[in-house]
Amino acid sequence: MNIKKFLISSITIAEMEARKLRHDPTELWTRIIQPALWLLVFGETFNTIKAMPTGNFSYIQFITPGILAQSVLFISIFYGITVVWEKDVGILTKLLSTPSPRSSIVLGKSLAASLRGIFQAMMIFALALLLGVKIRLDLLDIVGVFAVVVLFAMCFSSFSMFLASYMKTRDRMMGIGQALTMPLFFASNAIYPISVMPVWLQYVSIVNPLSYVVDAIRSMLLTGSYGNLLIDILALLFSTIVFVTLASTTIKKLLE
Amino acid sequence: MNLDSDGVSILDVPAIEAHNLTKVYRDNIRAVDGISFSVKQGEIFGLLGPNGAGKTTTIKMIITLTKATSGTLHAFGIDVFKSPETARGMLGYVPQSISVDTDLTAYENLLIFSKLSYVSKKERNTRINDALEYMDLSSRANDLVKRYSGGMMRRLEIAQALVNRPKILLLDEPSIGLDPSSKKQVWENIKQLNHEFGVTILITTHDMSEADELCDRIAIMSEGKIAVLGTPVDLKRNVGGDIVTVNLFSTSPAISLPKEIGHIIHNNEKSIQILTTNGEEAIPLIADFFRSHEIRIESISINKANLDDVFMKYAKRRLGDEMYKATRNMRRDFVRHAR
Ligand SMILES: Nc1ncnc2c1ncn2[C@@H]1O[C@H](COP(=O)(O)OP(=O)(O)O)[C@@H](O)[C@H]1O
Ligand SMILES: [Mg+2]
Repeated sequence: MNIKKFLISSITIAEMEARKLRHDPTELWTRIIQPALWLLVFGETFNTIKAMPTGNFSYIQFITPGILAQSVLFISIFYGITVVWEKDVGILTKLLSTPSPRSSIVLGKSLAASLRGIFQAMMIFALALLLGVKIRLDLLDIVGVFAVVVLFAMCFSSFSMFLASYMKTRDRMMGIGQALTMPLFFASNAIYPISVMPVWLQYVSIVNPLSYVVDAIRSMLLTGSYGNLLIDILALLFSTIVFVTLASTTIKKLLE
Repeated sequence: MNLDSDGVSILDVPAIEAHNLTKVYRDNIRAVDGISFSVKQGEIFGLLGPNGAGKTTTIKMIITLTKATSGTLHAFGIDVFKSPETARGMLGYVPQSISVDTDLTAYENLLIFSKLSYVSKKERNTRINDALEYMDLSSRANDLVKRYSGGMMRRLEIAQALVNRPKILLLDEPSIGLDPSSKKQVWENIKQLNHEFGVTILITTHDMSEADELCDRIAIMSEGKIAVLGTPVDLKRNVGGDIVTVNLFSTSPAISLPKEIGHIIHNNEKSIQILTTNGEEAIPLIADFFRSHEIRIESISINKANLDDVFMKYAKRRLGDEMYKATRNMRRDFVRHAR
């Protein structure tokens, strides 16, 4: 397979989605409501009662990276549904009648997911500034946060498309998405430090990829201590490559 | 190189050549059951059959959207199963159900499609605008497709298949769900494409009038098999001819018609049905005949032989019950008895 053609096809598939969002950006705006509520209601409330041992940081500072990661997770984990839906209405089938390689769908869609992730991250940055949440506004750190968001969105959207290759229906994908998101979210360090969890949950959170993502974002936005950062990012990069490759080979099962 | 009858040299490779093509879905459903056919370059070839005959499955195997269980398939000599991406580069595909992206504009639909077909940047705009112009969509090119009518969406589907400049166009029931005037327009577009650019066209339909109108040759499919294959004229000739019904003012006396005009197959007091080889040519002869016998005619009607009759004969089933007509039954009875 020709790498250049593969990339052209993938980028075109991402472009297609970007154009759709430009025509109707409603979805982008509605997706900001949930994280806004987390920060405003949950964040502000716990901020005042100071119930969490969040170290030198206020609670709302503490959860801002967590909420960012969570909202990108929500976007990506349901990407398989989009692909199943596009297959059901024939859009995908149509794309696959071109000379483009079928596997380019996965990279294209995961790029589109990261595009949404970037928009989400910008909105959460804006929200944080608006609420006066103190975050480090160092250029390199911000670039780093965006890089993590992009990888994370690609990783989980590919994972979702990988599942969709076998699940094949929207209902099943919806069920799986819901079954996964809440446990991932609550068994992570997104809204409370790992130290306050029951011991068994601490073990779960250690193997939870979301924890690593939150940890990476938190180190760049809040602490500025990059001890684990390299490992976090390498682990994320590795899983992204694995899942994009895996889903690219399985996606044809969905299309049959 | 070969010589055809006009002495013009042509490359004698069929546009599509299917050999023992078979598709078995899960639960042992034999959707396509060992069909072989070949589509000549530049012709409009029709697959005609009722729902479930296996037409869509056949097209999907050609465009490599579904894997054949067995058999071989070549497009312009290229093994479709071995080089699917090369094959798709020569093919344009219009699926049975509308599948353009309704959240994009017509222009964007074609833009995305041309990029996925690796049309060079230089050529992209010309091709897109040509295709839009050709399918009469230029004035609405920048509207979101969700505001289009069904006929326009269909035409956009075809425009989309054209940016690839395909050598073969695969059309799966292109006029399904269209009102009569949109249907006519799509038919015109299809004929024009074939005549002007010599695009080879494979079309599926369950509508016999569509097949009759468009196709140079037709394969009638039933239950995954090709029941019969030929030109519409030959196929219709095989089932007899046209029926001319003569209605009289008064009960007819016993008459016998000269053989060269036709056979009386039914004489129902004031209405006489005559089987002829060509209805239009027989009508003046019939009128003269009755006038010379001083029998007054109230009206004459004609019932042309059609592909439904052909289908009935070869597949032993009807294409659609709504096409059921008592007179056709009578003709068939007559044709069978006459043999
Ligand atoms: N994806 C599929 N899985 C199982 N059976 C199928 C599938 N697609 C079509 N079939 C079956 O194959 C047969 C032929 O279908 P199809 O090719 O769509 O016919 P047509 O296009 O002539 O209406 C039908 O019996 C249909 O139910
Ligand atoms: Mg069909």
